[in-house]
Amino acid sequence: MRKNLRALLGGMNAELNRMRRSRLLIAIVVVQSVTFLILVTLFGMTGAYAPTALVNYDNGPLAQQFIHSLENDHHSFALIFMNNETAAKELVEQGVIVAMIVIPQGFSQSISEGKTVPVTVFIDNINTDMTDDIQRAMPAAVMSFGDALKFEGVNVSVAETDSYTHDTSFIDYMIASALVLDALIIAGTLSALSVAEEFESKTARLLAISPVHPLIPMMGRVVVTALVSAGALAITVIVALVSYGISPVQPLEMVLTLLFCVAIFSCLGAALGAIMKRTLPVALFVLGSALPLFLFSGSYEPQRFDGNLIWVAAHFSPEYYAVGLMENAVFNLKVTPEPLGLLALALVGWGIGALALAWFFSRRGFS
Amino acid sequence: MKKNSIWTIALHDLKRWRKMPLTAACALIPPIAMTLVLVSLSLAVTQQPVALVVQGNGPASVQMAQIIKSDTEAYDLTITNAATANSMLQDEKVAAVITIPSTFDAQVANGTGKVLLTINNVDFDFSDDIRRSVDRSVVEFDAQGLVSDELINSSLPNVYHVALDEQYVRETNVDWFHYQLVPTFLLLVLNVGLVGTALMCALDTESKTARMLALSPQRSWVLISGRILGGVLACFAIVLPAVLIGVLVGFISPPIAQLPALFGIFLGTALCASCIGAIIGTCVKGSRYVAFLSSMTAIYLFLLGGGFTAIEFVPHWLQGVSAFIPTRYSIDALRQALFYLNPTGLPYSLLVLALYAIACVGVGALLMRRSWNT
Repeated sequence: MRKNLRALLGGMNAELNRMRRSRLLIAIVVVQSVTFLILVTLFGMTGAYAPTALVNYDNGPLAQQFIHSLENDHHSFALIFMNNETAAKELVEQGVIVAMIVIPQGFSQSISEGKTVPVTVFIDNINTDMTDDIQRAMPAAVMSFGDALKFEGVNVSVAETDSYTHDTSFIDYMIASALVLDALIIAGTLSALSVAEEFESKTARLLAISPVHPLIPMMGRVVVTALVSAGALAITVIVALVSYGISPVQPLEMVLTLLFCVAIFSCLGAALGAIMKRTLPVALFVLGSALPLFLFSGSYEPQRFDGNLIWVAAHFSPEYYAVGLMENAVFNLKVTPEPLGLLALALVGWGIGALALAWFFSRRGFS
Repeated sequence: MKKNSIWTIALHDLKRWRKMPLTAACALIPPIAMTLVLVSLSLAVTQQPVALVVQGNGPASVQMAQIIKSDTEAYDLTITNAATANSMLQDEKVAAVITIPSTFDAQVANGTGKVLLTINNVDFDFSDDIRRSVDRSVVEFDAQGLVSDELINSSLPNVYHVALDEQYVRETNVDWFHYQLVPTFLLLVLNVGLVGTALMCALDTESKTARMLALSPQRSWVLISGRILGGVLACFAIVLPAVLIGVLVGFISPPIAQLPALFGIFLGTALCASCIGAIIGTCVKGSRYVAFLSSMTAIYLFLLGGGFTAIEFVPHWLQGVSAFIPTRYSIDALRQALFYLNPTGLPYSLLVLALYAIACVGVGALLMRRSWNT
């Protein structure tokens, strides 16, 4: 027992020394996790607030009402008020903004007289999705305009009931789930590199003939990489929460979920390092698989909305359960059909499974 | 003779690349994974799963239901009863429930018709999509001319007194999936070129063969050209079959007239990738760091170049940063060449890409040469 403890502490000590010599690696991993967080939110920017030039040639009250409808049109437009139609059109053509809306002169007067006024919408139709967004947003704004002015002949409107009292922004939603991605990148990379290096530098062979079981010092190394990962992740979490102004509803649940993620991804990283036994492909593999795993885990909307096939597939990744818990911890959202207790249980199961995998593949590597 | 030497060095690098199959395979993971992600996302960004409950049975209810059913671009519709719809909403089988109440016809008759919408609004990206689509359906009920596929120059009188005259910048009907898929070919080039060349340079430094190169009777530009050519050939060896597969399965259909432009885009991107890889491989010590940094750089170049987003939507400061990223021009040029009938911006994008390629070759060659003496 004492021998085993000494071997474990020896492994931890060796890894600590290696980490001290590899400060650049830790710095790179932390910087990468922070910048990855920002970069994944780029995708979130395309979903709302299309930068749109508004050229208003009418000073009447109805034009103001129409602008108000555009501004409150389901987060559709980020209006940029411009006076010069030609300049605005050029900005659309250059791909600086998405669209231009022109309210013509006499808009208010004509509508007051019961006439129909054409509003020009100039769209950069680079793809049908972006065009569809504008094409759907404009009638929605027109409907809100008609509802506000109670035009005769408008017979139908929408009565909405929401599951939550307030909407969570797409980017905030993605940030909460991106922290799980960061846990994967940091913990997975550090532990996988540590274990792979044991095999690459052939010290694994020496461990195999040591008087204690070789997995014990190896586990010591993984414990240290997990601790360092937890510290690095803490920096990332603080940066993310402060810079995006997010205050988690259940901080303890968030911390526990992330710590569990670190433990799981450290073990999975160790298993990967033992399988590949080389540091070069290991680093590439973790990085390459991080983004798709993240996107298949309900990171941008509840995964079940993407159909049963993808939803079932997502269950094979621990990120699915972790994202479900994170969204609850940060925003009090329920994004999976499974209850929270079951998600937590599944995450614990993943932890045990990951440990078993690390043990199994490391053992195979030694033999 | 010099030409032969350049080829020999390039082919030697390719052979070394072949001796690291695991590393080579791992370099292919990001573009393959990105393609899978896009297939998944294409299901998510276009249609939303929605349940429709039609309780009214008068003509107005039927007309409203018909409008909603016909909008197949917006809704992945399940028509059911209220209890099942509610249960589907709780189980996240649908994101929203649209109800046309039993009193709808009577309400419409006195101008107070209501379509009931219940949304699981966990984030406003998809919930706003549904809100906009339902609003559009409702507008179509009262003002059919306001919502149609032929909105251009539509100025028919309607009850909202606003007509929409839509005009488009270009002639195209490319969908989201194909628009986003095309840059993954460049991600492939970036990953292979960057990681491959960076590792070759790093391994030369680690195994001290870089010093031998300094003593070689060959001129240094021959050796450097061979290394860069090796990276470019590796890129083409991977991207050409990928493009061919893309054509065969119908993902892309490059116009014959644009083939020279496509070659230019891939060549420019491959040169940039190889030389940026050479810069990383010579400036950073340790193949582990090099692998990590080069793979990371490839992903950043892809994302900042607009590979995963429409660059118009990002903040202006980020658009400014993106203007200095060579992949911005590769991605833009590739989309123009493949999708637009009149790719007016293509020569400009190609020119900027060529300038970036020249600059990258210059800096990469200089740093590579200097690294042999240290």
